[in-house]
Amino acid sequence: MRRSMVILTSVLATGALTLTACGSRDDNGGGDSGDNGDSKTLTIGVDAPLSGENSTTGLGIQYGAQIAVDDANKNKLVPGVTFKLKALDDKAQPATGQSNATSITGDKTAVGAVGPLNSGVAQTMQQVFASANMVQISPANTNPELTQGKNWQTDKKRPYKTYFRTATTDELQGSFAAGYAYNKLKKKKVFVVDDKQTYGAGLAKIFAEQFKKVGGKVVQTDHVNTGTKDFGSLVTKIKNSGADLLYYGGQYDESALITKQLKDAGVKIPLFGGDGMFASTYIEAAGASSEGDLVTAIGVPADTLPAAKTFIETYKAKGYKGDYGAYGAYAYDATTAIIKAVKAAVDANDGKVPSDINALRSTVVDEVQKSDFEGLTGKVAFDQYGDTTNKQLTVYQVEKGEWKAVETGTAELN
Amino acid sequence: MTGTGPVEPVNSSETGESHDVIGVDSPRPTDRLRERWSALPPRTRTAALLALLTAAVATGVLLAPHHHRTERPEPAPWPANVTAWHYLGPVSPPNSPAFAGRFRFAVTVGKGPPVTLEVTGASSPGLRARALPEPDFTVRPGTPRRITVQISVSHCSGLPLNADLPFLDVTLRNTRAIQRHSFIFGGAFSRDLSELLHAACAPTSS
Repeated sequence: MRRSMVILTSVLATGALTLTACGSRDDNGGGDSGDNGDSKTLTIGVDAPLSGENSTTGLGIQYGAQIAVDDANKNKLVPGVTFKLKALDDKAQPATGQSNATSITGDKTAVGAVGPLNSGVAQTMQQVFASANMVQISPANTNPELTQGKNWQTDKKRPYKTYFRTATTDELQGSFAAGYAYNKLKKKKVFVVDDKQTYGAGLAKIFAEQFKKVGGKVVQTDHVNTGTKDFGSLVTKIKNSGADLLYYGGQYDESALITKQLKDAGVKIPLFGGDGMFASTYIEAAGASSEGDLVTAIGVPADTLPAAKTFIETYKAKGYKGDYGAYGAYAYDATTAIIKAVKAAVDANDGKVPSDINALRSTVVDEVQKSDFEGLTGKVAFDQYGDTTNKQLTVYQVEKGEWKAVETGTAELN
Repeated sequence: MTGTGPVEPVNSSETGESHDVIGVDSPRPTDRLRERWSALPPRTRTAALLALLTAAVATGVLLAPHHHRTERPEPAPWPANVTAWHYLGPVSPPNSPAFAGRFRFAVTVGKGPPVTLEVTGASSPGLRARALPEPDFTVRPGTPRRITVQISVSHCSGLPLNADLPFLDVTLRNTRAIQRHSFIFGGAFSRDLSELLHAACAPTSS
């Protein structure tokens, strides 16, 4: 009997190990240990401000893309291909962005790029990617001209077939903000300021137009320079204008200082801005002065998206810098769109990576246009202009030192 | 982790409590089985044990993936993330002077539990909006529902006559959450609503 028990224990122990091993393979999707075979490495470029101004949200883009690449490699999404990220810092400068675009397209292992953050930077990069017939997907650009041309309000024309974005446009963002300010906040007189940049000036213009259309009054407009620290004269103008709301088109770096100096001067009106302000750094920099301030941001809150849960946990567990909240999940989806396009190109080539990098890049552009999958942020697909079909927005307000979602919206513009 | 479940009673068997763990609770059959088992030659008993355990392990392997899939049901999605509106057109053109118009929409719920909706407002404080015939209605996933929304002009003062990107304010409710959400429209609904607003507030200008 005792001998039988020994055999029984051995057999069951073996069975247990076998089953445990089966479970591990399931969980890890085959694992990523040494079985490289004849794996080919392909590069995905990332361009964003990774240092200095705007870097909180820029780093969110970089690490959002990094997690997508890591997931694709771990799950062997494209058999025979290992993806590598090449992240370049544009410092929010158009000229640097253009130089980075040249660097990415010059890399003969590069199949596509994610970024940039700033619409003004994107304008200098688009032609470079178009010339190389390489796909570029921004998770953050919102200026309508980038996809719909200069005359987007009257005659939409797509300037570049290689440019896409997973963020919705300022046409929607500015209108949504104006409607919320007038109808929900009951604000009637607004002072509009922008930072003279493509994104900020464009958004502020759309907001002002829409605010007037819904019945509000724009009492005054003004402009600031990026990098400015002292907004004393602007605060005086706002104080004397009688405005009950300040709208700012630009990034969090300047707006955090403006709201602080405004409140310190006793002007207790909220500052309302766009997605460029949606960063934890805004609240940290402005402190209690930011209480009650508002932004519109692309998409719906990440914590309402079940698919984003693991992404957020990974971002935090890895200790990545920056803020994933604004664009991290959109960068993940943009990167995944490129990876899935590579997979389609490989599948169409009898399971082999096309040897001609130019042919591969061209196919990837076509396949990204055909994207149709469930990403972290919802359905990932692009319309005839390269704009995302996922047109969701959220109004956030600072409450007790945190951004809190107060209104969400979905657009159906056809 | 998924594969270790079926073999857990085995560890207990080493302590001589395997019958209790497995749950054979009738003493008589157990006693009879034990007597018969003891009467078998050792080699037969070993072979029988091996066959039994191989079958148990194989069963465990087959059941493991199924067990894994049913481990944790996916939580219900937030209603705003699965609900979509599509404008179909006006029920009938507004007569002049008209202070209300009826508009048709198709509402879909992509997945999850049914969503109950209530239209609470439209683009401007000067407009009132409600679904007909009942103010709230329920849409089930995979079954689009056509509904009519009546929009009436309560006052023209400050009302923009050209409705750029008009929206409907809707309360969405499912087993996960209650959310206030705006559905924003362009194109055809913008034109049709503007037509109503002109007819109601500037009848001579059209």
